[in-house]
Amino acid sequence: MQFEDLGKRALDTASARGAQYADIRFESVRSERIEVRNAIVASLSDARSLGYGIRALVDGAWGFAASADLTETGIDAAAARAVAIARASASLARRRVGEPPRHAYVDRFETPMQRDPQQVGLNDRVSLLVDAERAVRSTPEVKVGRAWMDLWSTEKFFFSTIGSAIEQRIVQTGSGLQAMAVGNGDVQTRTFPGDIGLYKSGGWEIVEEARLTENAARIGEEATALLTAPQCPSGTFDLVLGGSQMSLQIHESCGHPAELDRVMGWEANFSGTSFLEIDQLGKLQYGSDAVTIVIDNTLPFGMATCGYDDEGTKSVVSDIIRDGVLVGYEMSNDTARAIGRTSNACVRAQNWEFVPMIRMCNLNLLPGNVPFENLFDDIRDGIYMESNRSWSIDDRRLNFQFGCEMGWEIKSGKRGRLLKNPTYGGMTPRFWNACDAVADARSWNAWGTPNCGKGEPMQTGRTTQASAPARFRGIAVGVGYNG
Amino acid sequence: MDKAQREAIAKRILALSTADQTEVIVSAQNSALTRFTRGVSNQNVASIDNGVSVRAIVGGRTGVAATNDTSDESLKALVARAIEMASFAPSDPEQPQLPAGGPCPAPEGAFVDATAKADPFERARICDAILTEVEGAGYWSSGYVSTGESGITIANSSGALASFDGTDAQANVKVTASDSTGFAERLSTDVGAIDGTDVGRRAVEKARGTASPRSVEPGTWTVILEPPAFGELLAYLVSHFSAQTYDEGSSFCSGALDSAFFDASFSLYDDFAHPLAPGMPFDFEAHPKSRVTLVKNGVVRDIVTDSYYARKLKRPNTGHALPAPNAYGPQALNIVVAPGSKTREELIAETTRGLLISRFWYIRVVDQKKTIVTGMTRDGTYLIEHGRITGGVRNLRFNQSIVEALGAASFSNDQHRTGQYSYSLVVPTAKLERFTFSSTTEF
Repeated sequence: MQFEDLGKRALDTASARGAQYADIRFESVRSERIEVRNAIVASLSDARSLGYGIRALVDGAWGFAASADLTETGIDAAAARAVAIARASASLARRRVGEPPRHAYVDRFETPMQRDPQQVGLNDRVSLLVDAERAVRSTPEVKVGRAWMDLWSTEKFFFSTIGSAIEQRIVQTGSGLQAMAVGNGDVQTRTFPGDIGLYKSGGWEIVEEARLTENAARIGEEATALLTAPQCPSGTFDLVLGGSQMSLQIHESCGHPAELDRVMGWEANFSGTSFLEIDQLGKLQYGSDAVTIVIDNTLPFGMATCGYDDEGTKSVVSDIIRDGVLVGYEMSNDTARAIGRTSNACVRAQNWEFVPMIRMCNLNLLPGNVPFENLFDDIRDGIYMESNRSWSIDDRRLNFQFGCEMGWEIKSGKRGRLLKNPTYGGMTPRFWNACDAVADARSWNAWGTPNCGKGEPMQTGRTTQASAPARFRGIAVGVGYNG
Repeated sequence: MDKAQREAIAKRILALSTADQTEVIVSAQNSALTRFTRGVSNQNVASIDNGVSVRAIVGGRTGVAATNDTSDESLKALVARAIEMASFAPSDPEQPQLPAGGPCPAPEGAFVDATAKADPFERARICDAILTEVEGAGYWSSGYVSTGESGITIANSSGALASFDGTDAQANVKVTASDSTGFAERLSTDVGAIDGTDVGRRAVEKARGTASPRSVEPGTWTVILEPPAFGELLAYLVSHFSAQTYDEGSSFCSGALDSAFFDASFSLYDDFAHPLAPGMPFDFEAHPKSRVTLVKNGVVRDIVTDSYYARKLKRPNTGHALPAPNAYGPQALNIVVAPGSKTREELIAETTRGLLISRFWYIRVVDQKKTIVTGMTRDGTYLIEHGRITGGVRNLRFNQSIVEALGAASFSNDQHRTGQYSYSLVVPTAKLERFTFSSTTEF
C-alpha cells in the first residue's frame, strides 16, 4: 500500500474516532556520517529510518502518536492512539487552544542541488577526509585531528483532513575539520569552516565549497599558535565579530527569543521564555537601525529551506526585526492565531517520531554596505573574534556570554596580535543597539547549525543564520577570565 | 518488541554476517510525554520504534549500518551494507577483538510494569495534580510528565549476548509568579513514585519563597547547590574521566591519576546499580559494567574504558563503551556522588552569608583544561544570612572552575536522582565555599 492510501486510512480512522482534524507525515530518512579522527575512521555509518507521525485534534486539544508499523493494523492503532491522547489532553485542558489549519496545498518540493552526494563514491568521500585530517595534524602539538562529513536526505509525504497532499525531498550536507593542540599547560582548539563546519541544504557542492584540504594545515598551525598567544585582555572594547560568530549571536539572542511559543510560555520549564513580549511588538528598539533580521525559508542553501513546514504551511519571507524594531515572531498556526496573525511556516519536527513545533528556521541578518576590510578602519582599540567556542545565555535571552576560538587586537584600524581565549558578554538589546555597521553582501554567508536543541522530548533542529561580520561599540570583553 | 524477539533478530544477524567480527544492537522503545503550559497540554505525544544497528569488522576495517525495518529482507540488506561500508575504511591496527561478554544481571527495580503500562490518562491525572497545586497558589506553570519503557539486546561474534529492559517516569515543573519562579522534579523507574501534588507544592514553595527578589553583587560567594544544580554542574566534569579525554591530554587529570584535586569529602563513582537509578548492567559492546571509583576522598583514582582504550592504555575494560560508531570514547553514564554527614538544613545553618541555588541553566565550557564553565542560576535562588534563608535574589551568571569549586566542599547526608539527559546523576546537596559570579540579570 502506498503512502497516499495509508495516509487516507489513518485520516479516516482518526476522523471516525472523533478527531475534528488530523494530519499524517510519513518520513523516510537517510543519515550518513563519516568521521576520521587521528587517521582512524571513527565513524562510517549509514542509518535509515522510515515511519510516520499522526496529529489529531479533539475538542480543541492535540494528540500525537508516531510509529514505524506500516501495516494497516499499525496505521489504525497509531491513529487511535493519537485520538486517545488528544482526548487525554482535552481532559486536562482549562481552555481550548487548537484549531485546524485553514489552507490546503497539493504540491511537491525538492532541494535544488548541483550534484547528488549519492553519486560520489564512498571511497572518494573517505579519501577526502583521510587526506584532510592528516593535513590538520600539521604540527607536533596537534594531538587530535578530526574531519567529518554528514549527508542527510529526507523524503516527506504529508496528508491532512482538509485536503493537503505535499511531497518533499530535502537534502542537507555538511563537512568540517578540527584541530586540538595540547602544550604549554593548555588545550586549544580550531574548527573550520566556522565553529561547526559548513552545513547547508544542497548536494556535494557544499562539501566542495568548504575546501577542507586546502585549509587543513592552516587550522592545525592556528591551534598551535594559540597555545603561546597572549590572553585576550579584559575591559571595554569595540568589537568586530566574524560571520560564523555573528550567526551564533543571532541564533541565541534573536532566533530563540523570537519563537512565539517561548514568548507564550510553552517552553518555560526547559528552553525558557523570552524578553520579546507581545506588548513590545512594533515598539521595542531591539537594535540599532543597522539591524534588520528576517525569516526566509526560501533562502537558497538554508538548512531550513523547504516548500512547506510540518503543519503544511507554505514557506514565506517575513520580518522579525526591521531597522532595529521588533515587528514579528517565528510562528505556528495556533500561536499566530492567538496574536491575530497567520503562521509564517516555522514549524518543524526532528523526524517522523517527533511532534512538529516552532523551530528557528532561516533567520538572517541582512547585509549592510561596509566592505568587511573597512569595519576596522576607525577602531582605535578593539578586538576581532572568530569561530565560536562557548555560548551561554539566560532563560529569557538577556544576559549572554560567548567565547571564540581566536581573537586579534585591533590597533588604530589595523589587525594586530593573535589573542587566545577571547570572550565577550552583555545584555541582548543593549548589545544589538551598539551595532553600528554590518559588512556588505560580499562577506554574507548562510551559516548552518545542524544541532539546535529545544522541546520535550528534546528535538534537534537544523537552522541557518546568514550573516556578514559586524561591528559593535563599547562591549565587555574578556569576561570569564577575570572572575 | 520483547527480549525474545530482539534476541532472535540478533542471532539472525550474526548468522547472516560473513565479516571477521560482527556486533548487533537491537533496541525497542515505547515512550510518551504529556507537556503542559498555562493549564493546557501543548504537547502530548507517544512514539513506538525499533532499531537494528550492525557493526561489521573486516580486516581491521569497520562499517556501521542501521535501520528500523526488521523484516528479513531488510536485515539481509543491512548486513551486506555494513560489510560493504567496512571495505572503504582504512584498517585500524588498534582494533581489538570484540568483548566476549559475561553475566550481567539487571539491578533490582530497573523495570516496573506499571510504568510500562501507563496510559495518557494516568499522565494527565498527575499533570492535573500539579496544576491544581499551582492554580491554588495563583501562579502558572509549565512542565511535563513522561513514562516509557525501553529494551536493548547486544550480541557479537565473540559470543556475547546481553539483554536489558528498563522503565522511566519523570515529572518536571517550573512555576511562575509575578516576579519569581520555582522548580521541582521527580525521577523514578516507577510511575507510582511520581506524586504530582508533591512536585507542584515544592515548585510553588520555591516561587513563593523567592518573591520580590533583591539584587546582590556578583563576586565570590559560598553557595549551596541543591541536587538539580549540583548535578548540572557535575555533568560538565564527567567527560574528563573518559579514557579518550585522559589519553589525548585534554582532561584536568591527564597523566595525574592518584593525585588529590578535590576536598577530601568528595567521592565520585560510576554505579549502574544504585537503587535510585538502576540502569543497564552492560555497555554498548555487551561488556559487563564495573562499579568504578573515579574519585575517593578527593583523589582521582580511575578512568572509564571500553575495549579499544583498555587495549590502547593497557588498563582493564570497565564496560563504558558507547554505541558504535563512537567518536567520543568511553563515558561514565551512571554518576553517583557519596553523601556527607550533615543535613541540608545544617549546611544552611552553618553558612554566614551565601546563596542557595535550586537550578542552573545553559552551562557551557569556557576553558576545557581548567574546567572553567559559565552558566546562570534559575528558578529559585535564595540569600542565606547568618544561617537563615532571608529571601530571593535575582539571577546571576557564574564563571567557575569545577575542580577548584570542589576543592573546598561539603555534602548533605541524603542523595537524589536528577538529570534529564541520557545518563543518570545521583547526588547530595553540595556546599561549595568559593564560587565566583561575574554578572547579574534583570530578573
